[in-house]
Amino acid sequence: MNFKEIAKRSETGRLIESKDFLMKSVAANAMTLSKEYEITWDGKTFLNLDDDMADRCFQAGKELFINTGLYSMNSHRVVQFSESEVDDALRFTRAQVSMGTGKDQVTIHHRQVEDERKPFIFCGPFNANVHEDMFVKLNEAFSQEKIVDCLFFPGYLNEVDGQLIRPTSALASRAAILYGQWAREAVRRGGRPGMAIAGHAVMAPAEIASTNEEWGLRSTDPRAMVLISELQVDDVTLTRLAYYLSYGCPIYMAFTPLIGGYGGGLPGTAVVAVASFIASIMLGGEIVHIGPQHMKYKQQTNQHSLFLASLANQAVARNSNIIATTSHTTSGRPGSAQYAHEFSALALTAVTSGSNVSGPRPAEPLGNNHVSPLMGKLFAEVAHAAAGMSRAVATPIVEALYDKYKDHLDLGTAPKGQPFEELYDLDTLTPTPEHQALYDQVKEELINLGIPLI
Amino acid sequence: MADAERIYEMMKKSIETYDSDAAVAAAEQAVAEGLDLVEAVEKGFANPIRELGEAFDRMEVFLPELTLGADAMKAGVAVLEKALNAQGGKLETKGIVVVGTVEGDIHDIGKSVVATLLQANGYQVYDLGVDVPSPRIIEAAESHNADIIAMSALLSTTMLYQRDVIELLKNKGVRDKYFVLVGGAPVTQAWADEIGADGFAHDAFEAVQLLDSVKEGWGK
Repeated sequence: MNFKEIAKRSETGRLIESKDFLMKSVAANAMTLSKEYEITWDGKTFLNLDDDMADRCFQAGKELFINTGLYSMNSHRVVQFSESEVDDALRFTRAQVSMGTGKDQVTIHHRQVEDERKPFIFCGPFNANVHEDMFVKLNEAFSQEKIVDCLFFPGYLNEVDGQLIRPTSALASRAAILYGQWAREAVRRGGRPGMAIAGHAVMAPAEIASTNEEWGLRSTDPRAMVLISELQVDDVTLTRLAYYLSYGCPIYMAFTPLIGGYGGGLPGTAVVAVASFIASIMLGGEIVHIGPQHMKYKQQTNQHSLFLASLANQAVARNSNIIATTSHTTSGRPGSAQYAHEFSALALTAVTSGSNVSGPRPAEPLGNNHVSPLMGKLFAEVAHAAAGMSRAVATPIVEALYDKYKDHLDLGTAPKGQPFEELYDLDTLTPTPEHQALYDQVKEELINLGIPLI
Repeated sequence: MADAERIYEMMKKSIETYDSDAAVAAAEQAVAEGLDLVEAVEKGFANPIRELGEAFDRMEVFLPELTLGADAMKAGVAVLEKALNAQGGKLETKGIVVVGTVEGDIHDIGKSVVATLLQANGYQVYDLGVDVPSPRIIEAAESHNADIIAMSALLSTTMLYQRDVIELLKNKGVRDKYFVLVGGAPVTQAWADEIGADGFAHDAFEAVQLLDSVKEGWGK
């Protein structure tokens, strides 16, 4: 569907209050449809092995989206779509998208459940707060990891020139410009000048100031848009979409279905997740990111999130050409073994369920620069090793990993980890001996659990 | 007394079935039968909504149920409060809270859960909604004679409005009147300390626990 029609409907659709949309439309429909389509979870299973339920979940999610539409939070109007419009969008969804330029150009594909193809790796600071002084070095360190296909969310600059950034201020535009410049400079220093850079600079229309073919973000860089839970979109996102669709950037659309939120329990949230995948492509999304978020844990490696990632990704993988990717946020922080245990559990779950991968990042960084390129490399290696693995093989490994961290999901008690500047030698941009030793130790542990890492 | 227990049971049932009409009917019956209205609020509505909140924390019920249960409680308590006020009485509250998501930020869910659970736990809550300009938060705190200002921010870039509210309170010379509580995905204890907030909570339950535990420290 053409974006101008979306923009029009967001100004002319049915006018209702947000609470009514969420309660009477989303919550009521999700509850009814999850029962009608017999979407269930026993509270024990980690990976869905029921293909028929994945198919039913897709149908339920499609019906939910057709019933509810998408809510424009600023105009308070519902952007509604007919079944034939949804079917058309699904029919013409592109199963592959290229990004980056020259020798650094890469292609992401739609993946099937238990697909033998390696997943695409989006990896970088993933919007953890990054201090302006560390921005280029940190992103250079990520870009020099050759296993990373696309530099992912080069980091949130919440401060520039020593000043906190107000979203609609002139400083926000300056931050967006510097973000584009510094991200491009980082991949150039990493020897990958055409490397694709996915993300968004600041959550404001000023973000488009990061765009410049010479020094900033290019039409070959995926630009990220975020839907608001559940099935809602705001003017900032629509404004950025209008620009980036016209400019020609691949659109990376993200959403975070909230387990325990308006979808209710896991079955309803899975239905909402599928509806959100569909909403994302209706808006022009070409790569769609699911962040299986949990109301209580506020991260994505708890057991509920693992099963949600598994079921929703399988539903989409089996019934559409949507290019899916799954975000990975953890309780443990970089510099701890738990961080690796958590992202490995979710990566095995997501990849065997037909997804590509995005991440990792601690759900609650304790300050700036709380990410590790070396752990990003391990994350990518685990994701590659999961290609071709069956869900049945992955399940006991995921269970064993979950056992290691299940008692430390609480963000207050999870390992505090260390920031990049303590994990790396900043002159050589290489891991410290201690951080390298942690990588070696965890990798061996993962191999012993059955992950075929090289 | 048997009648009172029967009506409290009706109130409890209205929360458990998320039925605002039933809550209003039970409250009207309590008024008509001359029950102790303060006790009716506590036994009929507050206890069951607290139980619902605990069930939400255990993930036995979810946000839609919590919202509907809270709506039923509000509808019932409104009837009881009106009657109590007409008798010259007043509902006791643990404290008066104004809560909102700061300017530039339209995330609602976390803030609404905080508002609901505070209300369920005996606080009088004024929910200012989302995208609330800093001066409006202070105006609301002043006009409602609040004890607590609770602010949510879901974006790194909107957190700074939490700082601005505190700065404005200082500039107006009223900082010490309020306990300022901050929260939201990017917010940390370190940020709360940096901007001079009085408290930080990861989630709604922590917010309730914190406010309950520091009650003696409120400014008034």
